Amino acid sequence: MARLEIRQVSKVFTDHTAVSDVSLAVNDGEFLVLLGPSGCGKSTLLRMIAGLELPTYGEILIGDRVATRLQPKDRNIAMVFQNYALYPHLTVYENIAFPLRVRGADSKLVEDKVKWAAGLVGLGHLLKRKPRQMSGGERQRTALARSLVRDPDVFLLDEPLSNLDAKLRHSAREELRQFQDRVGVTSVYVTHDQVEAMGLGDRIVVMQAGTVRQIGTPEEIYQYPADTFVATFMGSPPMNLVSQGDITLGFRPENFLPESNYAQGSDITRIAFRVHRVEYLGGDRLLYGHVCGNLPETPAIARIPSSVAYSPTLGSETAFAVATGDLRRFDATSGKALAVAGMKLERRLAHG
Amino acid sequence: MAEARAALRGDRTLAYATLAPSVFLLLLLAGVPTITVFSTAMQDIGMGDMSGPYVGFENFAWALTSEAFYTALRNTFVWVFGSVALEMALGLGLALLLNKTFMFRGVARAIILAPYLVPTVVAVLVWRYMFHDIVGIINAGLLSIGIIDKPLLWLNSQSLAMLSVILVGVWKFFPFVVIALLGILQSIPQEQYEAAKIDGASSFQQFWRITLPYVMPVFLLTALLRTIWSFHKFEIIYLMTGGGPLDATTTLPILVYLKAFTDFEFGRGAAVAILTFAILVIFLGLYFALIKRAEDRQ
Repeated sequence: MARLEIRQVSKVFTDHTAVSDVSLAVNDGEFLVLLGPSGCGKSTLLRMIAGLELPTYGEILIGDRVATRLQPKDRNIAMVFQNYALYPHLTVYENIAFPLRVRGADSKLVEDKVKWAAGLVGLGHLLKRKPRQMSGGERQRTALARSLVRDPDVFLLDEPLSNLDAKLRHSAREELRQFQDRVGVTSVYVTHDQVEAMGLGDRIVVMQAGTVRQIGTPEEIYQYPADTFVATFMGSPPMNLVSQGDITLGFRPENFLPESNYAQGSDITRIAFRVHRVEYLGGDRLLYGHVCGNLPETPAIARIPSSVAYSPTLGSETAFAVATGDLRRFDATSGKALAVAGMKLERRLAHG
Repeated sequence: MAEARAALRGDRTLAYATLAPSVFLLLLLAGVPTITVFSTAMQDIGMGDMSGPYVGFENFAWALTSEAFYTALRNTFVWVFGSVALEMALGLGLALLLNKTFMFRGVARAIILAPYLVPTVVAVLVWRYMFHDIVGIINAGLLSIGIIDKPLLWLNSQSLAMLSVILVGVWKFFPFVVIALLGILQSIPQEQYEAAKIDGASSFQQFWRITLPYVMPVFLLTALLRTIWSFHKFEIIYLMTGGGPLDATTTLPILVYLKAFTDFEFGRGAAVAILTFAILVIFLGLYFALIKRAEDRQ
C-alpha cells in the first residue's frame, strides 16, 4: 500500500505529445480513475506509472521513493491489461504463481499465496484450467489474482472490463469495487467509459489531449464541470450549452423542465424551448429541440421522467426553466467554469 | 424422408463426380509408381532382363545384410540430424534477432531469404568452387588467417565431405526455419512481455517462460518438415559429391539411385527405397506424438 504522486509529467513522442505536464496524487488506498476519450494520454500515463514507458519530463513517486527511472519490476506495482495478457501455455495456477516463480519463491509460499489470491477472486475450483478454457470474466479474475499475489503497492488497471459483454461488465464492475474495498490497495484505473468511471472511482481525473481537465469526485465532476469539455464529455446526453454574450450557459437535460413543473416562487431561470422530437426511453423521455426566445437558437435536450405527466406540443415555443442553482456558467472564450455560489471544490480543481 | 435421402444421394453423386479427376490423377501419379516400386523390389530386375523373375524378399534380405545399406543409413542419420540441428539453431537465433527492431531490418530480412531462392544447381556450383582445395576461397581464407597451414580437401576427403555437404544444406535451408519462426514470434502479444516485466521476469526468464513455449509447436513442426525433406534430399548431395568420396556421403536416396542407375540393379534399389520409406514413417510417428504433446500443453 502506498501513496502515488505524479509531478509535472510529460511524454513527448517523435511526432506528438501524448501527456503534457500532468500532476496528480493518489492517496493511500484510494481508487482513482483516469477517464478520457481515446488518445487523451490516459494509457500512456498509466504505462509511465508502470515503468513500461519513461516520462520525457517530470517525476513519479511511489510511496516515498522516486520511481521515475526504475525498472517495472522494481516498482512493486501490479498491472491488469485490457486483454489480460495471461500466459496461454500455463494453467490458471501457474499464471497466478508466475510473479512468485520468477522471483524464486519456494513452492510452499507459492501454494499458499496462489490459493489465497485465487480464493479472493473466487477461482479456487478452476486452478487446473488453461486460459483458453475459461470465459472472459474468469480470465479477467485470473489476471486480477495474478496481479495481487505479491502484495503490490499500487494496482494499475488498463480498461480491464472492456473485453467483457455488457451484462458481465456490470457485475464485474460491482465485484471489482467490492474487491478493492476489501483489499484496500491504491488503484489507478484507466477507462473511456464514464459510467464505469462514475461507478468505480473515489475520484476521477478527466483527461483530454494529454492534459488534465478536472480532478474530483464523481459528483463534483458531474455537478460542477471545470470546463465545457468536461461538461459535454460527462453525462449522456451531455450538458446543454447555450452562449449568452461572453459567457456560455450550461444545464443538464434532467434539470431542464417545463416551467409548470416548478413550485410557485422558486428561484428559476426561464428558457424558451421548441421541441422537435420525443424519444421514449422507458423511465425517461428525451425531448430534442432548440432553445429559442431571447437566447440564440441552439440545439438542446431535455430529459423528463416518464412519471411527470407532460405532453409537449411539437414545433411551438414552450416555457421551460432551470433551477438557478443548477445553472452553470462558462467563460465563452476559454471554456472554463465561472464560480458558482455554494460550490466547494476550488481546492480540487487542477489546471496547469 | 425419402426425398431427403434422394437429395443426399444426389449430393453424394456430385461429390464423387467432382472428386473423380483428382483421385484418378493421384492413383496414376502416386499409386501406380508406389505399386511398381513394391513389385520391382520383389523381382530381380537388371539391365539385361527387364521382365525379371519374382524373388520374394531376397532384395530386402540383401539390403539388410549388406554393409552398403548400413553405411548409407548411418550417413543419412548424420546428414539429417546434423543439418536439422544446425538449421534449427541458426534459424531460431536469426529469427530472434530479426524480431528485434533495428535499422534496415526489412533489408536484413530480405537478404536472409536469398539462399532459399537460389536454384540448387547454381548454389552447388558456386559452393563447389568455394570448397575447391586449390582455388577455393574457403581454403584461401583459412590459410591467410593461419587457421590451417595446408589446403583442406573439403569435398575429397572422407572425413570432411559430409561436413561440407551439411554446411551447404544448412546454408540453403535455414531461411525456411527463419521465416516460420519469425511468423510465430511476431504473433506473440507484446502485453505478455510487459506483464512479465512488471511481474519481475528477467530477459532470460521472458525467453524461457514466454517466447520458447509460444514458438515450441511451430518449432517442432518446422523441425519435422525439415527432417522429412532432409531424409529424402537427393540433389544437393548428388551434385556436391555424387555420394563420395567412396561412400562417405552416400545417404539412402543416393544409394537407391546408385543401385538403380549406376549398377542397374533395379530390384535392390527399389528395396532400399521401400526401407527408407519405412524408416521415415517410424520417425514421423515419433515426431507427431511429440508435437501433439507440445500442443496439448499449449
